[in-house]
Amino acid sequence: MVTNFLIYGLVNSAILMLSAIGFSLTFGLSGVANFAHGAMYLTAGFIAWMLINYLGLSPLVAMLLTVVLMGILGALIYRIILMPVRGIVLSEVISTFALGVALIEFFRWKGFTSFDFSLPPFVKGSIEIFGVTIDYQRLIIIGIALIIALFLWYFTHYTNTGLALRGMAQDEYTALSIGIESDWAAMLSLGLGAALASVAAVAILPLGIISINLGYEIFLIALAVSVLGGLESTLGLFVGSLILGYAMVIASTYLGPQWGQVVYLGAIVIVLAIKPSGLFGKYKELEERV
Amino acid sequence: MLNVNNLMVFYENALAVNDLSFEIKQGEIIGLFGSNSAGKTTILNTLSGLTHHLKVREQRKGGTRITISGSINYLDADIMSLKPRDRVELGIILCRERHPVFRDNTVEENLKLGGYLRKAQEIKESLQFVYELFPPLIKLRKNKAGMLSGGEKEMVAIGMSLVAKPKLLLMDEPLLGLSPHMQAEVVRATLEIRKHGVTVMMSEQYARPIMPIIDRGYIIENGTLVMTGTGTELMDNPEVKSAYFGT
Repeated sequence: MVTNFLIYGLVNSAILMLSAIGFSLTFGLSGVANFAHGAMYLTAGFIAWMLINYLGLSPLVAMLLTVVLMGILGALIYRIILMPVRGIVLSEVISTFALGVALIEFFRWKGFTSFDFSLPPFVKGSIEIFGVTIDYQRLIIIGIALIIALFLWYFTHYTNTGLALRGMAQDEYTALSIGIESDWAAMLSLGLGAALASVAAVAILPLGIISINLGYEIFLIALAVSVLGGLESTLGLFVGSLILGYAMVIASTYLGPQWGQVVYLGAIVIVLAIKPSGLFGKYKELEERV
Repeated sequence: MLNVNNLMVFYENALAVNDLSFEIKQGEIIGLFGSNSAGKTTILNTLSGLTHHLKVREQRKGGTRITISGSINYLDADIMSLKPRDRVELGIILCRERHPVFRDNTVEENLKLGGYLRKAQEIKESLQFVYELFPPLIKLRKNKAGMLSGGEKEMVAIGMSLVAKPKLLLMDEPLLGLSPHMQAEVVRATLEIRKHGVTVMMSEQYARPIMPIIDRGYIIENGTLVMTGTGTELMDNPEVKSAYFGT
């Protein structure tokens, strides 16, 4: 029972982290709260499905191609939709929100609503660990979450491009004055965010069917994890995912499955009421005043 | 090296720079003096392209809130409509006011970022030069830049600009808030930087510490050039003396 709880809590945490990481990265690097994050996730799922079922690509190729295509789409979204309103936070939120709803409802309108839409797992089958049966796909999700986290840490600390993006996030004018371009940086962070949303999609979606409402749900999860951990905080993303991941498992085990969702929605409200900057968020205004 | 003619900058309806013309010759150290809100920062930002960047962004939003007119010629080329990045590539580097550094990064990461547009080997050589210029930074290499003192941050900020390989280095109030000892250090470093073939323009409110090292100075009031001369000429002028040197 306890091992069951520990393992499935960990899987759930990894799922939350993967779902949120694209949103959190984009916000951390460019300050854009991408309200179309969930829609990107959903779109990635359908693109992968279409590549497999219409073009007959092998699942692995289709999934890699999806990640690349979504990365390009993310960059285009910045170029076309966000660039004109860059710097007006409310307009950024409105335009990404509108785009997200438009994408999600487009799929609903086109009839992507049946049970036919699902992605194949990377590896079929399951294994028993400490007496708990767990399928390979869930283990792979934990692996991918770790790999992505390590990759991003390396990317933002040791590569020229990553350091430049972080520099731009910290101080735009200083970054500009040493030759880093702000539009380029924002375009790249939107592209990376969309690519990460699609990595999450192709890894997580094989666990069930691609349901339209995931477009909204994934965004809310990303928001909950980021708000709880503190926006812009990598450590917060980890801890936020773990807390919510386990809390959701506890709630759905003891109170019933429908309570899982209440947990993350409740977390948003509670955190905003008690500590709006999140567990590891920084009070920038305070720092600047000092 | 740099010729500015009839430069005017408006923010909305406020005139920030008024019909300003001046020149900078190769190898000079130029002082730009003026009180708060005289237009020093706007002038340096306009030379480095930041004002142009802001203007483009405002235009995208559908307004023409910032207007820049006149001409800026650098090494015989018109750079008025170049982006900040293109100007950095041409060797115009701005070291902004209040010693800005990337606070979450280490000192060395900050310095390396300065060479963002350059090759790894060139960055290495420049790092060497910065550490020779500011030996205290060697010990602080792995420290987070946000935790440094004002003087140390200024060394990092200047170092970062140097790694960007300036031909024309624009320093915006580098002495602001520094101890007299640190001020002397920055002045010494500026002379050293000039020895390496870099032309320098530095702005200050309080002119005394840098007056001995400047070749010429420009005094700005309300965006207008009110006086120009060599260091000694400005020092001997009684009006200037009372306004910018303290008593």
